[in-house]
Amino acid sequence: MRAVWLIARSVLVEAVRRKEIYVIVLASLGLIGAVMTVDFFRLEGLSKFYREIALKIMGVATALTVIVLAARQLPREFEARTIYPLLAKPISRTTFLLGKLLGVMLAAGFCFTLFSAVFLAGTLYLGSGLHAGLYAQYLYLQMIQMLVLATMAFLLSLLMNLDAAITLGAVFYALSSVLMSAVSYIYDWVGAVGKVVLLALTILLPQLPLFDLSEKTVHAERVTLGGEWTWTALDAPTMAMLTAYGAVFAAVYFGLSLLLFRRKPL
Amino acid sequence: MAGRPVIEIDDLVVEYGRGRKVTRAVDGISLRVNEGECVGFIGANGAGKSTTIKTLMGFIFPTRGTVRVFGSEAGTVESRRRIGYLPEVALYYPFMKARELLELYGGLQGLSRSELRRKIPMLLEEVGLAGKGETLLRNFSKGMQQRLGIAQAIIADPEALIFDELSSGLDPVGKFDLRQVLLKLKSAGRTIFFSSHELTEVESLCDRVVMIHKGRIVTEATVRDLMKPLNEFGVIFEMPNGREMPPAVAAHQPECDGGRWRVTIRDPADYAAAVAALTAAGASIVSTASRTRSLEDYFISLVRSGDGTGGRGDAS
Repeated sequence: MRAVWLIARSVLVEAVRRKEIYVIVLASLGLIGAVMTVDFFRLEGLSKFYREIALKIMGVATALTVIVLAARQLPREFEARTIYPLLAKPISRTTFLLGKLLGVMLAAGFCFTLFSAVFLAGTLYLGSGLHAGLYAQYLYLQMIQMLVLATMAFLLSLLMNLDAAITLGAVFYALSSVLMSAVSYIYDWVGAVGKVVLLALTILLPQLPLFDLSEKTVHAERVTLGGEWTWTALDAPTMAMLTAYGAVFAAVYFGLSLLLFRRKPL
Repeated sequence: MAGRPVIEIDDLVVEYGRGRKVTRAVDGISLRVNEGECVGFIGANGAGKSTTIKTLMGFIFPTRGTVRVFGSEAGTVESRRRIGYLPEVALYYPFMKARELLELYGGLQGLSRSELRRKIPMLLEEVGLAGKGETLLRNFSKGMQQRLGIAQAIIADPEALIFDELSSGLDPVGKFDLRQVLLKLKSAGRTIFFSSHELTEVESLCDRVVMIHKGRIVTEATVRDLMKPLNEFGVIFEMPNGREMPPAVAAHQPECDGGRWRVTIRDPADYAAAVAALTAAGASIVSTASRTRSLEDYFISLVRSGDGTGGRGDAS
């Protein structure tokens, strides 16, 4: 376990010290800050608008960070030959990849912590309420989504070059919700073979919108002062199923990555 | 040397590519390195040195044959537990400080935090990087990175060291420092196996030399045995009348040239014995001359000879 942690820490140190991570984070924070200036126009529903934009930025920026960071872990190690002294130590390739994954997830946690601090400060500043339970579930499910994206990026980086892996990972993330809507829309219009293909797509590709509770978090408001919320937190069985759903995809992607990585001559 | 085998390679074949584009980088080599030995692995570029060493470390996989390190199959965690390894060219994480990097590598070898705190400053000093622990590696020169590489290789006091291109990137001072480190490790009984282009280094450090050419081992001998046929010691002398040629000299078939004898001897010990015998027999030594070819001369003739035997005709 210590080896996994040591490798993870090196990934986190890289994520924190490399300037491009800060560019994403700072640009996103700037955007969140800019949304708050809308207050000057006295627009109705500002706090909802703020929550919506801030949570979207938070999710997109963290997902992009995770995809870029995860996709380049292995190619960079091969290219810079930093992998040789590391794998010469008494650690298995499984431990190495697990450490990399943990490091990427810690970096995702770092991004969410940073964003959350700003988001909560903004929420407090605007004086609007926030369903704490839903927000916690939103963060938790986002982390599950990041786990799926990170393992997917690992797999892609072992199947293609770095640029292609980042592009494909980002495109899949961006189009995931559209893709799933399109599949359900055209399902009735295609023939038998098409139906099988669409069904396979639905099963084989993770449905990322399932991990997005931002809409509920944005629109959850108290009906009366101190009364019920318009949206409540998800129940435990639903959360467990979503966790299992994400874990299965992450395990499959990680397993395939490991299979390729263990056989890869360096 | 008859210690326990540390490295055992049997009939190793490594091929790259597929189908018609297969390249055989290593072609059926067998090799043993025993405990406490210092073995130099030399060959021209593309001879198969790095491929062999990468197979030893489990970075690439044998097409055929077996490779074992400390009795375990190469590439397993167990086989790497007692090894320190320096890659041919390695860059280290530019975003890390030297201390952090050594903490990472030492930690992966199971050293505790307190051990690391104690060892890292000493180690940095040993490799000539004293006071550089807090410097980011992006500010390190190639030579400094190589020194750091040596530090990470020896951080856990490994029983065996495997260095791929030993002094690559080091300036003369760096090479000298590295030689001191290796001599210290050698005298402490560590097993050392390294490839190098610096043949003088091989000559001065190694007990045994293994030469590889086009994927095959062409010479495997102790440095002394290898150098023996490369040296020539000539003596011109006059024998007193009626005295018999001493056997120590006669064995080397001296030739008579106008009353003076001329003999050529290859082994330094034989040469010393012959001179002593001549002196004892009352011979008058007119002149002595020595011609010593270096390992480098031998290596160059080996590579250029095409058949890989350097014109010696053997591969002992």
